[in-house]
Amino acid sequence: MIRFENVCKSYGSFQVLKNCSADIGRGEVVVVCGPSGSGKSTLIKCVNALEGFDSGQIFVDGTPVRDPATSLPRLRARAGMVFQGFELFHHMTVLENIMLAQRVVLDRSAEDARARSLKLLKRVGLAHHAMKYPVNLSGGQQQRVAIARALSMDPVVMLFDEPTSALDPEMVAEVLAVMTELAQAGMTMMCVTHEMAFARQVATRILFVDQGEIIDDMPSADFFSGQCSDRARNFLERIL
Amino acid sequence: MQIWNWHGFFMYLGSGFIFRGALVTLMLTVFATCAGFVLGTVVAVMKRSRHKGLSLPARFYIWLFRGTPLLVQLIIIYTGLPKFGIRLDVTTAALIGLSLNEAAYLAEIIRAGLDAVSPGQIAAARALGLEEGQIARYITFPQALRIIVPPLGNSVNGLLKTTSITSVISMEELLRRAQLLVQEHFMVLELFTVTAIYYLAMTSAWDMIQRRLENYVNRPYQRTATPVLLEPEANIAVTS
Ligand SMILES: Nc1ncnc2c1ncn2[C@@H]1O[C@H](COP(=O)(O)OP(=O)(O)OP(=O)(O)O)[C@@H](O)[C@H]1O
Ligand SMILES: [Mg+2]
Repeated sequence: MIRFENVCKSYGSFQVLKNCSADIGRGEVVVVCGPSGSGKSTLIKCVNALEGFDSGQIFVDGTPVRDPATSLPRLRARAGMVFQGFELFHHMTVLENIMLAQRVVLDRSAEDARARSLKLLKRVGLAHHAMKYPVNLSGGQQQRVAIARALSMDPVVMLFDEPTSALDPEMVAEVLAVMTELAQAGMTMMCVTHEMAFARQVATRILFVDQGEIIDDMPSADFFSGQCSDRARNFLERIL
Repeated sequence: MQIWNWHGFFMYLGSGFIFRGALVTLMLTVFATCAGFVLGTVVAVMKRSRHKGLSLPARFYIWLFRGTPLLVQLIIIYTGLPKFGIRLDVTTAALIGLSLNEAAYLAEIIRAGLDAVSPGQIAAARALGLEEGQIARYITFPQALRIIVPPLGNSVNGLLKTTSITSVISMEELLRRAQLLVQEHFMVLELFTVTAIYYLAMTSAWDMIQRRLENYVNRPYQRTATPVLLEPEANIAVTS
């Protein structure tokens, strides 16, 4: 579903991504972890071309990302993304947030978009909050709305960049619960996260990134049973 | 000669000649604000452009019109352009001068508003598949408006009074008409007190409008203590 082929990217002389290759199959839940500044955000943002890269290729459901013939808006509409900072549009209600792209990108009718939005809100447990503005929601609630908003495009993959890092501990669980439900429903997911319990229980595979390189790429059971690299073991010891 | 002539004061207060002068002032202000806002938006967008061919002319325009007095601009427009075969009546010259001048100031206000929209909001819109034009229309401009409205209100208040400068090209607005009447009875204080009252009435009316505008653009950002009422459809979806 997502295939990285020798992806390289530099900021000036600083190489952020070094020959990254990986293949994420349909329905897989891949957790990307690694030290701060290792390039995790950059890697995941290359998938929907929020970041460009210098060489190599990424295929999303067969569509090459780094290709002038590819319509980036159309590619992005098929890859939902959830950000660390939620990024709900603050001038719109929850419902308007979820309806916007359905209306203007997918040309859905107002009634259709509205019905789908309310259904998604129910799925993330926030049906009562449709008419609120984001400022009146807690962080955990905002992030669940952001997930609903991404799902409203019926994406083929979901990308998460540290979705729980900006949340108070008691709100982390509610967001992880939504993500777990999504994974069980068969969604292809790529998640940058430090939530190792989630990685252990939900992820099918772990990518360990350090200094712009994918050091480990293995089933999560193997990763956590000690078959990972020394660098990953070091990293795990530091964060657990 | 009396110190204060009440009869004269009320005569001028009820004068149709003065009232129509105030209407001209109002017309000049409304027109220059609207035209200045449209042109100012174009100039602001150009100035933010990465292309020098767009940003340089915008910078030149702002530099020119903010760097010279309106008085000088009006005289050049009114007396200079006819030498190139462009004949302008007084009203057209006044409208053009005020609009061009206001556009330069509003361009800077609008640019600051557009700059204030956080990159995260734009990335989120992009990730949903919105095209750049759609992002500008649905995200950047609406969010910038909240930043723009307070200084815009200030600028309109200033403009209401600045329109009096067009009297130098004999535009018959409020101040010019007061000056004309002074020649008749020399009741300077009464006449200019009436003029001041007219300006105060107009600036106060604008204050009220501006407050409403500010409330309107700030509404999404206000934390509400009371729960937001749900629309009936949302209620149905909740219980189904
Ligand atoms: N615009 C930029 N210009 C220069 N360097 C950058 C830029 N953006 C990111 N970097 C650098 O690239 C490296 C990777 O950044 P990235 O945000 O991908 O790391 P990360 O693994 O997501 O880290 P974190 O866990 O802190 O989020 C960092 O060292 C960062 O300083
Ligand atoms: Mg990051």
